[in-house]
Amino acid sequence: MPEAAVVTVNLAKHYKYLKAVDGISFEVEENEIFGFLGPNGAGKTTTIKCITTLTRPSSGKIEVFGANVVQNPDKVRQSIGYVPQSLSLVNDVSGYENLLFSAKLYGVQGSVRKERIERMLELLGMKDRANDVVRKYSGGMMRRLEIGTALVHQPRLLVLDEPTIGLDPQGRRVVWELLRRLVKEFGITVFLTTHDMSEADELCQRIAIINHGKIVAIGTPAELKHGVGGDIVVLETKQNPETAAKILEKEQGIQISTVGENSLSVIVESAERYVPAIIGSLSSNRIQVEAIFAQKPTLDDVFLKYAGSRMEAEEVGGDWRQIKQVRRAFRKMG
Amino acid sequence: MLALFEKSAVVLELELRKMMHDQSDIIIRTIQPVLWLTIFGSVFGQLRQVPLSGVPYLAYMTPGVLAQSVLFMAIFTGVSLVWERDLGQLDRLLCAPIPRTAIVLGKALTGGVKGLFQAGIIFAIALVMGVSIIFNPLYMAAVIAVVLLFGICFSSLSIFVMTLLKTRERVMGIVQLITMPLFFASNALYPIELMPRWLQAISFANPMTYVVAALRALMITGDLSGLPTDLAGMGLATVIFVVLASAAFRKIGA
Repeated sequence: MPEAAVVTVNLAKHYKYLKAVDGISFEVEENEIFGFLGPNGAGKTTTIKCITTLTRPSSGKIEVFGANVVQNPDKVRQSIGYVPQSLSLVNDVSGYENLLFSAKLYGVQGSVRKERIERMLELLGMKDRANDVVRKYSGGMMRRLEIGTALVHQPRLLVLDEPTIGLDPQGRRVVWELLRRLVKEFGITVFLTTHDMSEADELCQRIAIINHGKIVAIGTPAELKHGVGGDIVVLETKQNPETAAKILEKEQGIQISTVGENSLSVIVESAERYVPAIIGSLSSNRIQVEAIFAQKPTLDDVFLKYAGSRMEAEEVGGDWRQIKQVRRAFRKMG
Repeated sequence: MLALFEKSAVVLELELRKMMHDQSDIIIRTIQPVLWLTIFGSVFGQLRQVPLSGVPYLAYMTPGVLAQSVLFMAIFTGVSLVWERDLGQLDRLLCAPIPRTAIVLGKALTGGVKGLFQAGIIFAIALVMGVSIIFNPLYMAAVIAVVLLFGICFSSLSIFVMTLLKTRERVMGIVQLITMPLFFASNALYPIELMPRWLQAISFANPMTYVVAALRALMITGDLSGLPTDLAGMGLATVIFVVLASAAFRKIGA
């Protein structure tokens, strides 16, 4: 059995007015890409700060490769490379100097240091820009360099907070490719947070869905989607979708997912089998279906099932107050 | 202990590299002392009612202006630290396996080294303006040591105060609040004997007074009788501030 990279048991971080992380347990296995998916303010960054020893957990336990973050922080720090969400590079010096600085901070010495920086520049594909001041780099280059600075001391675990936020699709692909390579060729373990469904789905081997400081589901993307219980059928009607929902529930025993203004989505075991029955049932009740289509469940449907709302709804709606609270709590703590 | 100094040196090195890439800060910082010497110095020097025991006013105030410019520069060490904290840049240092004190000491050392640049510039300006400075290598080495120590001392004070503040908005107000009394309740611009009694009492507790006295002795008067007291006062203040700053800073992160 491979050693667990991160073991978290009942982790909680409470601020005065807020339970940012509220008793979560999970394990990150060695050499996997593990993603934390959730809306802003769900507790992702707080969890990362606990793992990277930037803040002390209120209760619970975290071990990184067997080292406890509270009792043995320096050992944990040496084994982690951390890429924060906000830009952590030194803007006013060159890319090479940023790598040099990281290497020195982590005690990488002399000739090893020089060689590693060279290799890193090659891996990042930025050898020709190494001596340019970071301020002149593109967003994607900065992100790659940040990942590079987190790697020069050869950590076993790379922790990234929203690694592709603000990048264009091209830049995003490059970062994904880099992370995949690190896992495959260098045996690194990656722990990342994201609020991007497709990133979680395509990049991560396993994900934990987190909302309001709690983990609501954990597994591979396929398992989680399978857990939704089948296919999603969306139908549009000009008549009252509420009525349609009631009919389908009663006559076909179909599970209703969401009811919109002119639409309705339901979860069925198999779309092929159920679509005729749905149309039949509705037309015999004089409800005209304008359009109908089936889709495989996405992580958004998974989020909906376990968190009880759409993730975007959490982002713009109820959570802005909480985000502000988190920020305020951090400032107070600082 | 070795790790502490080694990592402090790494922090210092980074700050100096930043400075080398962008020298505008250093250049802009030369303007203020020039203005103090040319405007304030030339007007105030006309008064001739300030008892300076025979020293021309411009010469009298030169060490004061030097101390002041190092003070202003050092106070911003803490300000930039708070910026870095709020921007998340400090996380890069905080998640590295280095002693917290190394971050404080490294930044404070930066304050000291930047102070040396100020000293060089003020020496040059003062010479151009005809101030006669003692050109004894030993004395000048001592000036360098005092400026370095002073930079470390007030950078630490600044780190201590700034890390106690929770928001960046409060920082600028506090900067004014600290620098004004430190500067004016000292012997930088006028002798302490001119002050009312209560202010004299304050100026004796002001580390700036000892710095200016030491610099004045080493640069202008050559009268070293008070130097041991001045150095002891400064050394004490430095130790206290470094300890306070490290303690306050440790609260950032676990």
